[in-house]
Amino acid sequence: MTSVGSFLLLLPRNICVAILRGYRAVISPLYGDVCRYYPSCSAYAMGAIQQHGAVKGIALGSWRIMRCHPWARGGIDDVPESRRHHDHYHLTRFGFVAAGHGKG
Amino acid sequence: MDFFGTILWPIKWVIEAILVGFHWLFTALGLDPAAGLTWVLSIVGLVLIVRAALIPIFVRQIKSQRKMLEVAPELKKIQDKYRGKKDQFSREAMQRETMALYQRAGTNPLASCLPLLVQMPIFFSLFSVLNEARQDKAGVGLLTQELADQYTNATLFGVAPLKYSLVDAFNYGNVAVAVIAIVMIVVMTASQFYTQLQIMAKNQTPEMKNSPMYRQQRILLYILPVVFLFSGLAFPIGVMFYWLTSNIWTMVQQFLVIRNMPTPGSEAALAREARLAKRNRNRIAVDADSLAETASEEPAKPATTQRQQPVGKNRAKKQGGSRR
Repeated sequence: MTSVGSFLLLLPRNICVAILRGYRAVISPLYGDVCRYYPSCSAYAMGAIQQHGAVKGIALGSWRIMRCHPWARGGIDDVPESRRHHDHYHLTRFGFVAAGHGKG
Repeated sequence: MDFFGTILWPIKWVIEAILVGFHWLFTALGLDPAAGLTWVLSIVGLVLIVRAALIPIFVRQIKSQRKMLEVAPELKKIQDKYRGKKDQFSREAMQRETMALYQRAGTNPLASCLPLLVQMPIFFSLFSVLNEARQDKAGVGLLTQELADQYTNATLFGVAPLKYSLVDAFNYGNVAVAVIAIVMIVVMTASQFYTQLQIMAKNQTPEMKNSPMYRQQRILLYILPVVFLFSGLAFPIGVMFYWLTSNIWTMVQQFLVIRNMPTPGSEAALAREARLAKRNRNRIAVDADSLAETASEEPAKPATTQRQQPVGKNRAKKQGGSRR
Protein backbone atom coordinates (compact mmCIF):
# COMPACT_ATOMS: atom_id res chain seq x y z
CA MET A 1 0.00 0.00 0.00
CA THR A 2 2.77 2.40 0.93
CA SER A 3 4.57 1.65 -2.34
CA VAL A 4 1.45 2.57 -4.33
CA GLY A 5 1.13 5.69 -2.20
CA SER A 6 4.70 6.75 -2.73
CA PHE A 7 4.44 5.96 -6.45
CA LEU A 8 1.46 8.30 -6.73
CA LEU A 9 3.14 10.89 -4.55
CA LEU A 10 6.28 10.82 -6.68
CA LEU A 11 4.43 10.59 -10.02
CA PRO A 12 4.24 14.34 -10.77
CA ARG A 13 7.94 14.90 -10.20
CA ASN A 14 8.85 11.80 -12.19
CA ILE A 15 6.75 12.97 -15.13
CA CYS A 16 8.66 16.27 -14.99
CA VAL A 17 11.95 14.36 -14.83
CA ALA A 18 11.02 12.38 -17.95
CA ILE A 19 10.12 15.58 -19.82
CA LEU A 20 13.36 17.27 -18.76
CA ARG A 21 15.39 14.23 -19.77
CA GLY A 22 13.77 14.43 -23.20
CA TYR A 23 14.53 18.15 -23.42
CA ARG A 24 18.14 17.64 -22.39
CA ALA A 25 18.59 14.86 -24.92
CA VAL A 26 16.94 16.47 -27.93
CA ILE A 27 16.56 20.25 -27.65
CA SER A 28 19.38 21.30 -25.32
CA PRO A 29 22.23 20.12 -27.59
CA LEU A 30 20.82 22.32 -30.37
CA TYR A 31 22.01 25.41 -28.56
CA GLY A 32 25.30 24.10 -27.23
CA ASP A 33 26.57 25.60 -23.97
CA VAL A 34 24.74 28.82 -23.20
CA CYS A 35 23.95 28.79 -19.49
CA ARG A 36 25.94 31.16 -17.30
CA TYR A 37 25.60 28.93 -14.28
CA TYR A 38 26.76 25.54 -13.10
CA PRO A 39 24.72 23.37 -13.06
CA SER A 40 22.97 24.60 -16.20
CA CYS A 41 19.36 25.77 -15.94
CA SER A 42 17.88 22.50 -17.14
CA ALA A 43 20.14 20.45 -14.85
CA TYR A 44 19.20 22.74 -11.97
CA ALA A 45 15.50 22.42 -12.72
CA MET A 46 15.86 18.64 -12.86
CA GLY A 47 17.71 18.53 -9.54
CA ALA A 48 15.22 20.91 -7.93
CA ILE A 49 12.25 18.82 -9.06
CA GLN A 50 13.93 15.60 -7.94
CA GLN A 51 14.68 16.98 -4.52
CA HIS A 52 11.78 19.27 -3.81
CA GLY A 53 8.93 17.86 -5.89
CA ALA A 54 7.10 19.22 -8.93
CA VAL A 55 5.60 22.39 -7.45
CA LYS A 56 8.57 23.78 -5.53
CA GLY A 57 10.99 22.38 -8.10
CA ILE A 58 9.28 24.16 -10.99
CA ALA A 59 9.21 27.37 -8.94
CA LEU A 60 12.94 27.07 -8.19
CA GLY A 61 13.71 26.22 -11.82
CA SER A 62 11.68 29.17 -13.13
CA TRP A 63 13.38 31.51 -10.69
CA ARG A 64 16.73 30.24 -11.93
CA ILE A 65 15.84 30.83 -15.59
CA MET A 66 14.75 34.35 -14.72
CA ARG A 67 18.16 34.89 -13.17
CA CYS A 68 20.04 33.48 -16.19
CA HIS A 69 20.07 36.70 -18.20
CA PRO A 70 23.02 38.33 -19.98
CA TRP A 71 23.68 40.75 -17.14
CA ALA A 72 23.80 38.07 -14.48
CA ARG A 73 27.15 37.25 -12.94
CA GLY A 74 26.62 33.51 -13.27
CA GLY A 75 28.87 30.97 -11.61
CA ILE A 76 28.19 28.06 -9.32
CA ASP A 77 24.63 27.86 -8.09
CA ASP A 78 23.57 24.51 -6.66
CA VAL A 79 20.07 23.34 -5.83
CA PRO A 80 19.32 23.92 -2.13
CA GLU A 81 19.67 20.61 -0.29
CA SER A 82 16.53 18.84 0.85
CA ARG A 83 16.82 16.95 4.11
CA ARG A 84 13.63 15.04 3.40
CA HIS A 85 14.83 13.88 0.00
CA HIS A 86 18.12 12.76 1.46
CA ASP A 87 16.45 10.72 4.21
CA HIS A 88 13.54 9.14 2.37
CA TYR A 89 14.26 8.88 -1.34
CA HIS A 90 16.91 7.89 -3.83
CA LEU A 91 17.44 8.36 -7.55
CA THR A 92 17.37 5.63 -10.18
CA ARG A 93 19.99 5.58 -12.91
CA PHE A 94 17.61 7.39 -15.24
CA GLY A 95 16.99 10.10 -12.65
CA PHE A 96 13.58 9.04 -11.42
CA VAL A 97 12.87 9.49 -7.74
CA ALA A 98 12.03 6.33 -5.79
CA ALA A 99 11.23 5.66 -2.16
CA GLY A 100 13.88 4.38 0.25
CA HIS A 101 17.29 5.91 0.73
CA GLY A 102 19.61 4.36 -1.85
CA LYS A 103 22.62 2.26 -0.95
CA GLY A 104 20.55 -0.89 -1.47
CA MET B 1 -9.73 33.74 -24.89
CA ASP B 2 -7.76 30.75 -23.71
CA PHE B 3 -4.92 30.72 -21.19
CA PHE B 4 -2.06 30.94 -23.69
CA GLY B 5 -3.93 33.52 -25.71
CA THR B 6 -4.09 35.76 -22.64
CA ILE B 7 -0.38 35.39 -21.91
CA LEU B 8 0.61 35.96 -25.52
CA TRP B 9 -1.78 38.86 -26.06
CA PRO B 10 0.78 41.68 -25.52
CA ILE B 11 3.40 39.95 -27.66
CA LYS B 12 0.82 39.36 -30.38
CA TRP B 13 -0.15 43.01 -30.28
CA VAL B 14 3.47 44.12 -30.78
CA ILE B 15 4.06 41.59 -33.54
CA GLU B 16 0.96 42.73 -35.36
CA ALA B 17 2.06 46.33 -35.03
CA ILE B 18 5.48 45.54 -36.52
CA LEU B 19 3.98 43.44 -39.32
CA VAL B 20 1.40 46.05 -40.20
CA GLY B 21 4.06 48.76 -39.97
CA PHE B 22 6.28 47.00 -42.49
CA HIS B 23 3.28 46.22 -44.66
CA TRP B 24 2.37 49.89 -44.68
CA LEU B 25 5.99 50.82 -45.48
CA PHE B 26 6.27 48.42 -48.41
CA THR B 27 2.89 49.50 -49.73
CA ALA B 28 4.04 53.12 -49.51
CA LEU B 29 7.13 52.11 -51.48
CA GLY B 30 4.86 50.96 -54.27
CA LEU B 31 4.35 47.24 -53.67
CA ASP B 32 0.90 45.75 -54.08
CA PRO B 33 -0.69 45.53 -50.58
CA ALA B 34 -2.37 42.24 -51.44
CA ALA B 35 0.72 40.60 -52.97
CA GLY B 36 2.39 37.65 -51.24
CA LEU B 37 5.82 39.25 -51.62
CA THR B 38 4.75 42.29 -49.59
CA TRP B 39 3.71 40.03 -46.74
CA VAL B 40 6.83 37.90 -46.96
CA LEU B 41 8.99 41.03 -46.80
CA SER B 42 6.98 42.21 -43.80
CA ILE B 43 7.68 38.90 -42.06
CA VAL B 44 11.38 39.22 -42.91
CA GLY B 45 11.28 42.76 -41.49
CA LEU B 46 9.78 41.39 -38.30
CA VAL B 47 12.66 38.94 -37.93
CA LEU B 48 15.19 41.69 -38.47
CA ILE B 49 13.56 43.80 -35.76
CA VAL B 50 13.41 40.91 -33.29
CA ARG B 51 16.98 39.82 -33.89
CA ALA B 52 18.28 43.38 -33.90
CA ALA B 53 16.61 43.90 -30.52
CA LEU B 54 18.73 41.01 -29.24
CA ILE B 55 21.98 42.59 -30.47
CA PRO B 56 22.76 44.35 -27.14
CA ILE B 57 22.86 40.90 -25.55
CA PHE B 58 25.21 39.85 -28.29
CA VAL B 59 27.46 42.87 -27.74
CA ARG B 60 27.50 42.10 -24.05
CA GLN B 61 28.83 38.66 -24.96
CA ILE B 62 31.59 40.16 -27.08
CA LYS B 63 32.69 42.36 -24.20
CA SER B 64 32.94 39.48 -21.76
CA GLN B 65 34.79 37.49 -24.41
CA ARG B 66 37.50 40.14 -24.40
CA LYS B 67 37.86 39.69 -20.65
CA MET B 68 38.32 35.99 -21.29
CA LEU B 69 41.87 36.65 -22.44
CA GLU B 70 42.78 37.50 -18.86
CA VAL B 71 41.62 34.16 -17.51
CA ALA B 72 42.91 32.14 -20.48
CA PRO B 73 46.05 30.83 -18.69
CA GLU B 74 44.03 29.58 -15.72
CA LEU B 75 41.46 28.10 -18.06
CA LYS B 76 44.25 26.27 -19.82
CA LYS B 77 45.40 24.89 -16.46
CA ILE B 78 41.96 23.45 -15.77
CA GLN B 79 41.77 21.99 -19.25
CA ASP B 80 45.18 20.36 -18.81
CA LYS B 81 44.18 18.94 -15.45
CA TYR B 82 41.25 17.10 -17.00
CA ARG B 83 42.91 16.24 -20.29
CA GLY B 84 41.99 12.73 -21.38
CA LYS B 85 39.45 12.22 -18.61
CA LYS B 86 36.21 11.44 -20.32
CA ASP B 87 33.99 10.07 -17.57
CA GLN B 88 30.94 11.98 -16.49
CA PHE B 89 32.26 12.93 -13.05
CA SER B 90 35.47 14.42 -14.40
CA ARG B 91 33.49 16.40 -16.97
CA GLU B 92 31.19 17.74 -14.30
CA ALA B 93 34.08 18.60 -12.00
CA MET B 94 35.77 20.40 -14.87
CA GLN B 95 32.65 22.39 -15.69
CA ARG B 96 32.29 23.31 -12.04
CA GLU B 97 35.88 24.52 -11.79
CA THR B 98 35.60 26.47 -15.02
CA MET B 99 32.47 28.15 -13.77
CA ALA B 100 34.12 28.95 -10.43
CA LEU B 101 36.97 30.55 -12.37
CA TYR B 102 34.57 32.76 -14.33
CA GLN B 103 32.86 33.70 -11.11
CA ARG B 104 36.12 34.73 -9.45
CA ALA B 105 37.21 36.69 -12.49
CA GLY B 106 33.83 38.40 -12.78
CA THR B 107 33.46 37.42 -16.41
CA ASN B 108 31.31 34.94 -18.26
CA PRO B 109 31.54 34.12 -21.96
CA LEU B 110 28.21 32.31 -22.10
CA ALA B 111 25.11 33.83 -23.57
CA SER B 112 22.62 32.87 -20.81
CA CYS B 113 19.33 31.06 -21.23
CA LEU B 114 16.82 33.88 -21.33
CA PRO B 115 17.35 35.08 -24.93
CA LEU B 116 16.53 31.59 -26.20
CA LEU B 117 13.39 31.36 -24.14
CA VAL B 118 12.31 34.85 -25.14
CA GLN B 119 12.24 33.86 -28.77
CA MET B 120 9.89 30.94 -28.23
CA PRO B 121 6.80 32.98 -27.25
CA ILE B 122 7.58 35.36 -30.12
CA PHE B 123 7.52 32.50 -32.58
CA PHE B 124 4.31 31.07 -31.09
CA SER B 125 2.70 34.51 -31.19
CA LEU B 126 3.64 34.99 -34.82
CA PHE B 127 2.28 31.57 -35.62
CA SER B 128 -0.95 32.40 -33.87
CA VAL B 129 -1.23 35.85 -35.53
CA LEU B 130 -0.70 34.42 -39.00
CA ASN B 131 -2.89 31.44 -38.26
CA GLU B 132 -5.79 33.68 -37.32
CA ALA B 133 -5.16 35.95 -40.29
CA ARG B 134 -5.31 33.01 -42.66
CA GLN B 135 -8.68 32.07 -41.22
CA ASP B 136 -9.71 35.56 -42.25
CA LYS B 137 -10.02 36.78 -38.66
CA ALA B 138 -8.88 40.24 -37.62
CA GLY B 139 -6.03 40.34 -35.12
CA VAL B 140 -5.95 41.62 -31.53
CA GLY B 141 -4.65 45.06 -32.47
CA LEU B 142 -3.65 46.80 -35.66
CA LEU B 143 -4.26 43.86 -37.98
CA THR B 144 -7.66 44.93 -39.28
CA GLN B 145 -10.22 42.78 -41.05
CA GLU B 146 -9.17 44.36 -44.36
CA LEU B 147 -5.52 43.39 -43.81
CA ALA B 148 -6.55 39.90 -42.71
CA ASP B 149 -8.51 39.57 -45.96
CA GLN B 150 -5.45 40.61 -47.91
CA TYR B 151 -3.25 38.10 -46.08
CA THR B 152 -5.76 35.29 -46.56
CA ASN B 153 -5.79 35.89 -50.28
CA ALA B 154 -2.09 36.71 -50.64
CA THR B 155 -0.17 34.49 -53.02
CA LEU B 156 3.57 34.47 -53.53
CA PHE B 157 4.47 35.05 -57.19
CA GLY B 158 0.74 34.85 -57.89
CA VAL B 159 0.67 31.06 -57.53
CA ALA B 160 1.57 30.03 -53.97
CA PRO B 161 -0.88 31.07 -51.24
CA LEU B 162 1.02 31.99 -48.06
CA LYS B 163 -1.55 30.29 -45.90
CA TYR B 164 -0.83 26.83 -47.33
CA SER B 165 1.48 24.36 -45.64
CA LEU B 166 3.04 21.40 -47.39
CA VAL B 167 0.11 19.25 -46.31
CA ASP B 168 -2.32 21.73 -47.87
CA ALA B 169 -0.20 21.75 -51.01
CA PHE B 170 -0.65 17.99 -51.34
CA ASN B 171 -4.35 18.18 -50.50
CA TYR B 172 -5.12 20.88 -53.04
CA GLY B 173 -2.55 19.72 -55.56
CA ASN B 174 -0.67 23.01 -55.48
CA VAL B 175 2.73 22.28 -57.01
CA ALA B 176 4.13 25.81 -56.48
CA VAL B 177 3.60 25.69 -52.70
CA ALA B 178 5.10 22.20 -52.55
CA VAL B 179 8.19 23.32 -54.45
CA ILE B 180 8.64 26.49 -52.36
CA ALA B 181 8.11 24.62 -49.10
CA ILE B 182 10.58 21.89 -50.03
CA VAL B 183 13.20 24.40 -51.15
CA MET B 184 12.76 26.24 -47.84
CA ILE B 185 13.09 23.02 -45.85
CA VAL B 186 16.31 22.24 -47.70
CA VAL B 187 17.73 25.74 -47.12
CA MET B 188 16.71 25.69 -43.45
CA THR B 189 18.27 22.30 -42.92
CA ALA B 190 21.43 23.39 -44.68
CA SER B 191 21.77 26.59 -42.66
CA GLN B 192 21.08 24.87 -39.33
CA PHE B 193 23.46 22.09 -40.32
CA TYR B 194 26.18 24.58 -41.13
CA THR B 195 25.64 26.52 -37.90
CA GLN B 196 25.85 23.34 -35.83
CA LEU B 197 28.84 22.10 -37.75
CA GLN B 198 30.65 25.39 -37.20
CA ILE B 199 30.06 25.22 -33.46
CA MET B 200 30.96 21.58 -33.21
CA ALA B 201 33.87 21.29 -35.58
CA LYS B 202 35.59 24.59 -34.96
CA ASN B 203 34.53 26.16 -31.71
CA GLN B 204 35.07 23.32 -29.29
CA THR B 205 38.17 22.25 -27.45
CA PRO B 206 39.49 18.73 -28.01
CA GLU B 207 38.26 17.86 -24.50
CA MET B 208 34.74 18.91 -25.35
CA LYS B 209 34.89 16.83 -28.50
CA ASN B 210 35.48 13.73 -26.41
CA SER B 211 32.48 14.29 -24.18
CA PRO B 212 29.26 12.28 -24.48
CA MET B 213 27.43 15.56 -25.06
CA TYR B 214 29.36 16.02 -28.29
CA ARG B 215 28.38 12.60 -29.56
CA GLN B 216 24.77 13.41 -28.74
CA GLN B 217 25.06 16.62 -30.71
CA ARG B 218 26.41 14.73 -33.69
CA ILE B 219 23.52 12.32 -33.70
CA LEU B 220 21.15 15.24 -33.51
CA LEU B 221 22.73 16.77 -36.57
CA TYR B 222 21.25 13.95 -38.59
CA ILE B 223 17.84 14.08 -36.96
CA LEU B 224 17.39 17.77 -37.72
CA PRO B 225 16.36 17.45 -41.37
CA VAL B 226 13.53 15.17 -40.27
CA VAL B 227 12.41 17.73 -37.67
CA PHE B 228 12.37 20.45 -40.32
CA LEU B 229 10.49 18.23 -42.74
CA PHE B 230 7.74 17.66 -40.18
CA SER B 231 7.53 21.33 -39.27
CA GLY B 232 7.42 22.11 -42.99
CA LEU B 233 4.44 19.79 -43.28
CA ALA B 234 2.62 21.53 -40.48
CA PHE B 235 3.52 25.24 -40.77
CA PRO B 236 2.17 27.46 -43.56
CA ILE B 237 4.91 28.87 -45.77
CA GLY B 238 4.26 32.35 -44.37
CA VAL B 239 5.38 31.19 -40.92
CA MET B 240 8.29 29.27 -42.40
CA PHE B 241 9.70 32.48 -43.83
CA TYR B 242 10.13 33.72 -40.27
CA TRP B 243 12.04 30.61 -39.32
CA LEU B 244 14.13 30.64 -42.46
CA THR B 245 15.23 34.27 -42.05
CA SER B 246 15.95 33.72 -38.38
CA ASN B 247 18.09 30.67 -39.18
CA ILE B 248 20.12 32.58 -41.72
CA TRP B 249 20.66 35.42 -39.26
CA THR B 250 21.89 32.93 -36.65
CA MET B 251 24.22 31.35 -39.16
CA VAL B 252 25.86 34.66 -40.11
CA GLN B 253 26.07 35.81 -36.48
CA GLN B 254 27.60 32.50 -35.45
CA PHE B 255 30.11 32.75 -38.26
CA LEU B 256 31.20 36.20 -37.09
CA VAL B 257 31.41 35.12 -33.45
CA ILE B 258 33.45 32.02 -34.19
CA ARG B 259 35.72 33.95 -36.50
CA ASN B 260 36.38 36.82 -34.14
CA MET B 261 35.76 35.43 -30.67
CA PRO B 262 36.46 31.71 -30.68
CA THR B 263 36.48 29.53 -27.58
CA PRO B 264 40.04 29.49 -26.20
CA GLY B 265 41.79 26.25 -27.09
CA SER B 266 39.48 25.39 -29.98
CA GLU B 267 40.40 24.91 -33.60
CA ALA B 268 38.83 28.25 -34.46
CA ALA B 269 41.03 29.94 -31.84
CA LEU B 270 44.13 28.40 -33.40
CA ALA B 271 42.97 29.51 -36.83
CA ARG B 272 42.43 33.03 -35.52
CA GLU B 273 45.89 33.13 -33.94
CA ALA B 274 47.37 31.93 -37.22
CA ARG B 275 45.46 34.65 -39.08
CA LEU B 276 46.62 37.34 -36.68
CA ALA B 277 50.20 36.08 -36.78
CA LYS B 278 50.09 36.11 -40.55
CA ARG B 279 48.76 39.64 -40.57
CA ASN B 280 51.56 40.71 -38.21
CA ARG B 281 54.11 38.99 -40.39
CA ASN B 282 52.75 40.75 -43.44
CA ARG B 283 52.96 44.09 -41.67
CA ILE B 284 56.57 43.46 -40.75
CA ALA B 285 57.24 42.33 -44.28
CA VAL B 286 55.84 45.56 -45.66
CA ASP B 287 57.86 47.61 -43.18
CA ALA B 288 61.12 45.92 -43.96
CA ASP B 289 61.01 44.87 -47.56
CA SER B 290 64.66 43.88 -47.71
CA LEU B 291 64.24 41.58 -44.73
CA ALA B 292 61.37 39.85 -46.44
CA GLU B 293 63.53 39.41 -49.53
CA THR B 294 66.21 37.49 -47.70
CA ALA B 295 63.67 35.50 -45.72
CA SER B 296 61.74 34.46 -48.81
CA GLU B 297 61.97 30.78 -49.46
CA GLU B 298 62.85 29.22 -52.79
CA PRO B 299 59.73 29.10 -54.94
CA ALA B 300 57.74 25.88 -54.88
CA LYS B 301 58.55 23.47 -57.62
CA PRO B 302 55.91 23.47 -60.33
CA ALA B 303 53.86 20.28 -60.18
CA THR B 304 54.63 17.99 -63.03
CA THR B 305 53.14 14.72 -64.05
CA GLN B 306 56.12 13.86 -66.15
CA ARG B 307 58.25 11.00 -64.90
CA GLN B 308 61.75 11.97 -63.76
CA GLN B 309 64.48 10.12 -65.49
CA PRO B 310 66.42 8.12 -62.88
CA VAL B 311 69.91 9.48 -62.45
CA GLY B 312 72.96 7.43 -61.56
CA LYS B 313 74.76 8.18 -58.28
CA ASN B 314 77.82 9.65 -59.97
CA ARG B 315 75.85 11.81 -62.36
CA ALA B 316 73.70 13.10 -59.55
CA LYS B 317 76.84 14.25 -57.73
CA LYS B 318 78.00 16.03 -60.89
CA GLN B 319 74.65 17.80 -61.22
CA GLY B 320 75.12 19.28 -57.79
CA GLY B 321 73.11 16.75 -55.79
CA SER B 322 70.51 19.27 -54.86
CA ARG B 323 67.67 16.96 -55.84
CA ARG B 324 65.08 15.87 -53.26
